[in-house]
Amino acid sequence: MERELQLLWVAVACYVAAGVVAIFGVVLGKRPERTVLGLLTAALAIHGYSIGVRWERLGHGPFITLFEILSSNIWSLTLVFALAYWRYRPVRPIAAIVMPILFVMMAWLLVTDPERGHLPATYDTLWLYIHIGFGKIFLGAVLVAVGMAGVILLREAGWGIAKLARLPADDRLDDLAYRFMALGLIFETLMLVAGAIWAQDAWGRYWAWDPLETWAFITWLTLAFALHLRFTVKTSPRTGAVMILSVFALAFLTFFGVPFISTSPHKGAI
Amino acid sequence: MAGPDRAPGKNWLGRVASLKFTLAILVLLGIGVALSYQNRDGGWVTWLMVGPLALFALNLIAAIATHPTIRTQAWLLIFHLALLAIILLVAAGRLTYLKGAIELTEGEVFGGELTRAESGLWHWWRLDRVRFVNQGFTINYAPGVQREHTYNRVRWVDEHGIERTATIGDQTPLVLYGYRFYTSFNKGFAPVFSWYPAGGGAPRRGSVHLPSYPAKEFSQAQGWTLPGNLKVWAMLQIDEVILDRDKASRFRAPEKHRLVLRIGDDRHELRPGGRVALPQGVLVYEGLRAWMGYRVFSDWTLPWLLASCALAVVSLALHFWRKFSAKPWSPA
Ligand code: HEM
Repeated sequence: MERELQLLWVAVACYVAAGVVAIFGVVLGKRPERTVLGLLTAALAIHGYSIGVRWERLGHGPFITLFEILSSNIWSLTLVFALAYWRYRPVRPIAAIVMPILFVMMAWLLVTDPERGHLPATYDTLWLYIHIGFGKIFLGAVLVAVGMAGVILLREAGWGIAKLARLPADDRLDDLAYRFMALGLIFETLMLVAGAIWAQDAWGRYWAWDPLETWAFITWLTLAFALHLRFTVKTSPRTGAVMILSVFALAFLTFFGVPFISTSPHKGAI
Repeated sequence: MAGPDRAPGKNWLGRVASLKFTLAILVLLGIGVALSYQNRDGGWVTWLMVGPLALFALNLIAAIATHPTIRTQAWLLIFHLALLAIILLVAAGRLTYLKGAIELTEGEVFGGELTRAESGLWHWWRLDRVRFVNQGFTINYAPGVQREHTYNRVRWVDEHGIERTATIGDQTPLVLYGYRFYTSFNKGFAPVFSWYPAGGGAPRRGSVHLPSYPAKEFSQAQGWTLPGNLKVWAMLQIDEVILDRDKASRFRAPEKHRLVLRIGDDRHELRPGGRVALPQGVLVYEGLRAWMGYRVFSDWTLPWLLASCALAVVSLALHFWRKFSAKPWSPA
């Protein structure tokens, strides 16, 4: 386990360096984008290797303990974000908003117990991987939208308008952010369907309103509401941004809050 | 993009189709879900979901019928139709589903009776046709009494009269006549008895299911009534370690054990083959078996629901794909 953890801390250091460089880039009006992308790539590679070593050692994927769930989500969220960063140059400075959110998760990771957990028999199915994979893409897409929503709200609050001037105008950010929300909706829907298939096989019911199912469904409804609100009452980018943050907050609570209020991910599991 | 200004006419259908109404319904549904989650037991809770869902369906039908945007964008239309199909199927499922539980001792034939059942108003009962035998099961435990896979052997005769066997458990149910039988964590030990009535008469054989093991490891006792209204209480005393905290082990009926019986004021301690002679007859303790608890589930809408969900996701993806590729994002 020593080795895994050492690799993990090196990766965390790279993530933090990438975030710090990105933040200073915005503050100083510089564009250290290649450095940020390089650091993110290095962090992903090292962290991915660390997850792989642990997977190999324990014989199951990183989805049992809080430590594993946080770690694998930091990895997948960064991966989705790095792809968006690479692909959408004009919005790259949003890294200064997205990375601090990941820092919070990393700080949480530092204080969680890395001990192994027990893999329940019901977790031994391909559907679990599909379900989790879709969920990770969903959350990643919403995180990218949060970056743009953050810029809109910071400008609204009158903070760093000059520093953020390099970014596209609010309506353009809003447009791109909602494309990511649309991607999020597709993958959240897929996540719910794959989860229901798994639940039917594992517990003989496809839906039972357990805490995770309930909150995931409320998140889905909120996302539907956000999209509908946008064309029904022609919302401003600011309202759109607030809706994005609400969806992210709900999704975040569902992913990392609910499973640890009740003792195991999916109460019906054990 | 179409907005409220392009909304359908102001006739009644147009009003029902209003997209502001959709927003209100989505909020109502969210509140309904949250409230029914917190108050699971109230009978009225159902209506917190049924009400908004009924409005949802009405609003959706009206919008599909009248809204220009939804009617002219094929994939968007298909997506909303699939949503409607999902709601209608879920409603149909709730009216016709069956959820229940049974317990079968090793070697016992399922005879169509459920120990616990909950069903929709219009469930079409066909359980009486279903027969299968529990032929025993294997469950390994990791150290720390952590349950691993369940392998349960079952045997049945199919519609063509051919005898079939299978191993079910965890992700794999036995599906017969649309009923799905899932093994569960609920399982335990079952003392088997024979009863020989005094003065002749056919002997009877049966088993008594002790509480779930290891969940109720320390209350392995059960009471029941013998023919002639004789009240019996039995407690299993296990004299060996079955599931070891410190190393891997396997669920099995204990060999070293005693059965303490209380009949009236008398106490008896029996080992397999032991007997108690009573004025009403003789009770013979034949030995200990295991029983398995199954969840029973039936819902004919499952494949249709899955198909509708697949259609919904594919059409949603295609709608956005078309929309976004027609007008690629640009920073200015
Ligand atoms: C009461 C139920 C609903 C009604 C009446 C309804 C109606 C509509 C209508 C009329 C449009 C086209 C709006 C326009 O562009 O002018 C639309 C778009 C859309 N609806 Fe719904 N809808 C309902 C529920 C839902 C739900 C639950 C979802 C799930 C997430 C959803 C997802 C969407 C999406 C993704 C779009 C396309 C948005 C876009 O192209 O940007 N709808 N809906």
